[in-house]
Formats: sequence, C-alpha cells, structure tokens
Amino acid sequence: MESNAAQEHGAGHKAPNYYLIWLVLAVLTLAEVGVAFVTAIPKTALAIILIAMALWKAVLVALYYMHLRFEPRRLWIITAAPLPLAVILVVIVLAEKW
Amino acid sequence: MSNAASATMETGTSGFGVYNMKLGMWIFLLSEVMFFTGLIGAYIILRFAGPDQFADPGVVLNVPLTAANTFLLICSSVTMVKAFAEIEQGNQAGLKRYLVLTAIIGMMFVGVQVYEYMQLAHEGFIPLADLYAAHGRHAAEGGAVVGGPLYASTFYTMTGFHGAHVSIGVACLWFTVFKAYRGGYTKNNYGGVEIMGLYWHFVDLVWIILFTIVYLI
Amino acid sequence: MSTVATAHESGTHDAHGQHEELPFLRKYVFSTDHKVIGIQFLFMSLLFLLFGGLLAMAMRWQLAWPTDPTNAMPGGSLLPETMFTSGVMLPEFYNALVTMHGTIMVFFAIMPLLVGVWANYLIPLQIGAEDMAFPRLNMASFWMAVPAGLLMMASFAVVGGAANAGWTGYAPLSTSDVYSGVKLGQQLWTISLVILGFSSLIGAVNYITTVINMRAPGMTWFRLPLSTWALFITSILLLLAVPVLAGGLIMLFFDITFNTGFFNPVVGGQPLLWQHLFWFFGHPEVYILILPAMGFVSDIMANGARKPIFGYKAMVWAIIAIGFIGWIVWGHHMFMSGMNPLLGGFFMVTTMMIAVPSAIKTFNWLGTLWGGNIIFHTPNLHAIAFVALFVIGGLSGIFLAAAPVDIPLHDTYFVVAHIHYVLVGGSLFGIFGAIVFWFPKMFGRMMNEPIGKLHWLLTFVFFNLTFFPMHMLGSGGMMRRLYDPTVYPHIAQHQDTNVFITVCALLLFASQFLFMFNFFWSMFRGKKASANPWNANGLEWSAPSPPPHGNWGGRQPVVHRGPYEYSSPESDEDFLMQTAPPTGRPTPAHS
Repeated sequence: MESNAAQEHGAGHKAPNYYLIWLVLAVLTLAEVGVAFVTAIPKTALAIILIAMALWKAVLVALYYMHLRFEPRRLWIITAAPLPLAVILVVIVLAEKW
Repeated sequence: MSNAASATMETGTSGFGVYNMKLGMWIFLLSEVMFFTGLIGAYIILRFAGPDQFADPGVVLNVPLTAANTFLLICSSVTMVKAFAEIEQGNQAGLKRYLVLTAIIGMMFVGVQVYEYMQLAHEGFIPLADLYAAHGRHAAEGGAVVGGPLYASTFYTMTGFHGAHVSIGVACLWFTVFKAYRGGYTKNNYGGVEIMGLYWHFVDLVWIILFTIVYLI
Repeated sequence: MSTVATAHESGTHDAHGQHEELPFLRKYVFSTDHKVIGIQFLFMSLLFLLFGGLLAMAMRWQLAWPTDPTNAMPGGSLLPETMFTSGVMLPEFYNALVTMHGTIMVFFAIMPLLVGVWANYLIPLQIGAEDMAFPRLNMASFWMAVPAGLLMMASFAVVGGAANAGWTGYAPLSTSDVYSGVKLGQQLWTISLVILGFSSLIGAVNYITTVINMRAPGMTWFRLPLSTWALFITSILLLLAVPVLAGGLIMLFFDITFNTGFFNPVVGGQPLLWQHLFWFFGHPEVYILILPAMGFVSDIMANGARKPIFGYKAMVWAIIAIGFIGWIVWGHHMFMSGMNPLLGGFFMVTTMMIAVPSAIKTFNWLGTLWGGNIIFHTPNLHAIAFVALFVIGGLSGIFLAAAPVDIPLHDTYFVVAHIHYVLVGGSLFGIFGAIVFWFPKMFGRMMNEPIGKLHWLLTFVFFNLTFFPMHMLGSGGMMRRLYDPTVYPHIAQHQDTNVFITVCALLLFASQFLFMFNFFWSMFRGKKASANPWNANGLEWSAPSPPPHGNWGGRQPVVHRGPYEYSSPESDEDFLMQTAPPTGRPTPAHS
C-alpha cells in the first residue's frame, strides 16, 4: 500500500512537455488581450470568445499541470461536480433580469 | 514527522487509487471553486443588471500591467510543476531551486497587485459609495467619473480574495521550501509537494478566469 | 506496539497505540481521536440546543402575554434596560431573539448534532477505519467551531445587541443600522458564521476522503449503512454549498462595514442577490439538516423491526436524488420576493419533484416495519415518531411548494409550523434516537429505558400540541417574527391559541430535563453495556463499548455482507453482523 501511490504515479505515463503548455498559455493570454480590444466584434460574441479562451487555458492547467489527465476517471467526475452548480447559480439568477 | 517511507502518500484500503492527501486537496479545491463562483457570479449578475455602474475594459483598470502579471503567475505554475517533476525523480537540488523560484514569483505577483491597488486608489477607484471618484485611465484630470462604487467593491473583493489565496499559497510554499531543505521529501514521499502544486495551480487557474472576466470583458 | 498497524496510520503516529498514557489535555481536550471529537461536538451542541430553546421560551412568553407588565417574563428583570424594561420586552430584543433562536438552532445545535457529532463518531466505526483520513484537521474543525459559537454568544453583549435581521439576514435590513439599529452584532453574526462555515467545510473534506479511501476490506459502497451514506451525501452538500454562503456573508459584512453597496439599490446593488446567494446555500442546508437523521432512522428502524431495511438500494438512490435535486429548488423560499414569476414556476416544479424521493423513503420505512418483530425500544420510538412527524412536515411543504398557495402562506406561522415539524419532529427526534442508540457505544453504558420512553412520550405530545395549531394560525394570517399579535384584530381573536401554544411549549421545554438527567446520570450510573447491546449488524457493534483508540486494537475488520441482515435464514439469531463470514447456508433472495 505504501509505495503503491508512488509506483502507479511514476510508471503510468510520460511527463507532459510543461514548457510547451507554458508557451500555449502565453500565446493564448496575448491573443486574449488582443482580441479584447477589437471593437468590430459585438460585445456578446466577444464575451463568449474570451471566456472560451480562458476556459481553454484553465483546462490546460487542470489537465497537465494538475495532472488530471493521468488520474483515474473517477477523479475527473468528482472534479466536474461543482461546474454544473456554478452554471446553475449564475444562469438562474441572470434569468431574473431577462 | 513519521519516518515511514511514504507516510504522506498513504491511502486506505478502498477508493480508486488516489492517496488521502491528494484526494483531500482535490475535494477542498472543489469548495474553492464554489467560493469563487459565488464572488465572480455576483459580479456577473450585478454587472448584467446594472452595466452603467461598470466600465469597458481598459478604461479604469490597467490591462497591460495585469496581463504581464498574469504571465508571471503562469510562469510560477511552470516552476511549480517542474519542482514536482524534479522530486518525482528524486532530484533534491532541482526541487529546492524550483520551489524557491515559485515562491519568489508568487511574491512578485502579490507585489504587482498591491502596486496596482495603490494606483487605482490614488485615481479614486474606491469601494466606498460616498468616496468613489474614478475617471478614465487616460482621460484628462477632472474627467467624468466612470462607473460607480459597485465596480470598485466587486473588483477589490474578487481580486483581493484571490490575492489572499495567493499570499496563503506563498506562505505554504516557503514552508515547503524549508521542509525540502530539511530533506523532508524523497522520491517515494513527495505528497506534500504534489498537494502544494495542486493548490498553486488552482490559484493560477482562478486567476486565468478572473483576469478574463474582470479585465477583458 | 504492533507494527502491522503502521500501514494504516495517519497523522496520529506519535500519539497512537503506544503504551504511554496521553496527558489529560491531549486525550480529552486537544484530541485527534474522532470519537473524542464527536463527543466534544455532542456536549457543545447540546449546550447550544438548550440555549436556543431558552430563547424560544422567551419568544413564546412574549407572544402569549405581550406588553403585559403584570405577567412579566421570569428573569426579564435581570436583563439590561436595552432588552427588557418595566416588565415588558422591547421589540428590538424580540427581533434579536427570533434571529438568534434560528441562527443558533440551525448552525450551532442541529447541524453539529447531526454532522459534527455523528459524521465524526460513526463514519470510521461504520466503515471499519481506525480514524479519519486527517485526524489533526478534524481537531481543527472542532476548535474552530468553538470560537465561532463564542462570538455568536458575545454578540448579545455588544452595543446595539445581537443581530436582529432574522436568521436569513436579508439585506437591506441587515446591512443598514439605520433600519435595524444593529451594526456590531450583525458584523459578529457574519464573522461567526464564516468561521463556522470553514469548520464545517474542512470537516466535509475529511468525511468525504475517509468514506472514499478508508473502507475496510469487503465494505463495498452498497454494503455501507444508510447512516454513512446519508452523512457522505450530506458532506458533499456541505462542501459545495457553504462556500457560496461564505461569499455572500463576506459581501454582507463589507456592505455593513464599508458601505460597499453589493445589496444596496441606491448604487446599483441588488437586494435579491443576497436572497439568491443565501438560499442557494440555504436549501441544500435544510437537506443537510435532515438527511443524516434519515440515515439514523433507517439503521435504528431495521434494528427495531428485526428486518432488513425495505429497498436498501432505493433508499441510497433516494438520498442521492434528494442531494442532487436539492440544488435547484432554492427559489421556493423566494416566491414572494418579487422575483421573475417564470423562475417561480421553474422552482415550483423542481420542488414538487423532490417530494418523490422523500416519499420513497417514507414508504420504505413503513415497508421495513411491516411484518416485523418490532421491538419498541426508545430509539425505535424516536425513529417511528420521525417518520410520522416528517410526513406531516413534508405535507405542509407541498402546500408551500405550490407558488400560488404560498402567496397567502409565505412568512406566516404556517411556515413556522412546517419548519418545526421537519426540524424538530424530523431532525431532533432523529437526533434523540441516535443519541440513545449509540450512547452505549460512546459511553459503555445504557441510557435508562423507562425515563427514555417517558421523555419520548412527553416530547411527542407537547411537540404536536405546540406546533400543530400553528398551521391554523398561519392560515388565519398570523405573520412570522411578530412582536405583538394582539395589535391585529384578525390575530387577536386567536390569542387563546397563542397562549395555549406557549403553555405547551414551556411544558415541551421542561420535558427535556428528563433527557438531560437521563443523559448525565446514565453516563456514570447506567447499566454497563456490551459491545452489541441492541443485537445490531453494523461494524461499530463489533468494536468494544466504548472502542479504544484505533477502534479495533490494530486489527481492521473484514466485511462479508450488508448491514441489514436481520432475521436472515443464514443465522440462528435474528441478526447477522457485517463481519460474519459466509455461512455456507442458503442466503436470502435479495442481495
């Protein structure tokens, strides 16, 4: 039991290229800032694009830096738990003003 | 503490292969997701309901400075994951080096944020209803007041609590550094580093979302 | 000590299992043993339960004899002039009583009595673990709850008095001392709840990790007792709901202290935002307040009926369903807030849906009793009372769930009746049942049966006499949080009912002294208990009463069967413990 965790972690996968991910994150950040000031895009579409880019970055951090990609599937399900709740809270309260 | 080889990475007799400390940290982070959902959600809702209380990106807040700060925090995530990769290989020197780097960059992030707060407060961007006086970033002195105190309230609350989480993270990082220097982590016993990393990456992740929603939209 | 045990040791390595006795402080005060922590929570929360009850008695006295100096509340003259003057209670103090009764009962009595006590005490014992996954974090959880409680109590003594905006703390009443007259008290209220929330949160992390990772060999998910299942789902609700409350409380605190305007319409804030944030937490909170009790009732009732729980898997799925659906019903607390009626319709539908899994559980409890060789021991009496009273509370809930029906009933005593039927008739009876049932395990002695039964009977009778008439009062238009019912003619005509309720409430309160006496007397003079005095099946009954540090003395139990094999053909006796190995005899048809 004791060294199980160390073994199953080390042996299972090749370490991802952390620097490559870093590059992608840096490029995405620059892109976000660039896109944010393009006045031609309508506000709602802009918001969606920016949030999508932010989520993309967040997912990269979660999957590769937090190693979620290499963890058991059950942990994925567990970590996904708050997400629908977050959406529900914000969407329903926003619906007040629609 | 204990001298069992992998005391920090022990699991019990059930579960799906994620040791106690790691599982516990992930579960704790889920509650943090809900905490920031509450704060950021409130901002989204207040802004949707009363957009004239807020302002367009860059008008009041300093986007270039914060974009650079965002990049800095991402760099610290790289150094953190490198620290973890090093101790996975048993490389003590690498672990210490990258942990110290992470802590320093973390402190720089907080420093920049404090500077940013001071600038904003100087420009009248204050959360108090009767004292709010922020005007556009590049407007002439005495330009019209932009947005309202709610903008400042939500801004300082969200970024402030994030900054507090970063600061706590920095303190924990230094604790981890000291423990590393005392030889507290080995190739078979790096649970403390891994959960430190999870917390740190999470704080970075929240910032990624926060930066976009607060500064760019 | 045994080296075999080291594989399963966690942070208590240095204090655990060694032959040296721990000093008193480490053993009973700053303990990391889940059993000690559970008992610490028990003492703390029973104390708060008593105090919350006292507050209610003060409220009831005022309602029965409002502004009547000739019938002044006993003890009133001891209170400062700001609360009680010339034989009459001040309205501001009444509002504080209402607020603090609710706050203390929900957060410092019922919640810890269900979760702090039983998640701590039962989970490791029922799953076959030596202790929690994070024993030191567990200790921190208790020692955070204590200052939170002290802060809450201290708020009575500050300038302006205790918080008085209701336990729901709606803005702008709570954010403005111009409206409420209270600033510091309200600030202390928010800080106390944030600290308590954090205590509950780290507790939840512990319980979830423990249940996932530390079950004994053979203890599969569908062999867990329903108490553990309920506590597990409750912990998930706590984990995800409490942070939202914390965020809201922080914003409330800032509004009070710094005039930040989150909920202030003058600067574009939204009062309804507070209500949404509060109830997004508040509704899962009420399931947190009932689910564990439901779990205990299942364990106790199966034991009392000498039968397996009827439909174990359905019971599990019902708990999960209640946990899930509970996230999307919160708007039913806000039907009359002025929120978008379309949203109201949505919440009405989801609220009706959630009645279904609760009903499934109710029918399954009845099915458990049906045809059983029922032993009416005190815990079973409490469990049966739970079912009956929870049904009544649930039914009044259906009335309130229908948004149009809620229009005349909102903020009336009909709601007060509903909440007390589920919280007292439900949760508190469940708690009493649990305490009597697991008392022998905790203290190694049985509680006195005749006194226990008498306490049960008096509580049952006086509870119903106190709260049932409130349905009528509420339907008749008596509003909540009302200082003096006699100023309104439509309520004044029912003042006799209010007096009757107060008398019964006082008798209800007095009856609890039987329980208190029984509790303390039995701790020292009760009949010594064996490891399994109820002939029950759970793993906790395979450990000594009380269990030593580490629960089974270093030998983790092995589980071979589910927790409800009562009256099984495999056994000559009418129970068959989870640790009993396969017998080779024919097994019952169901799994």
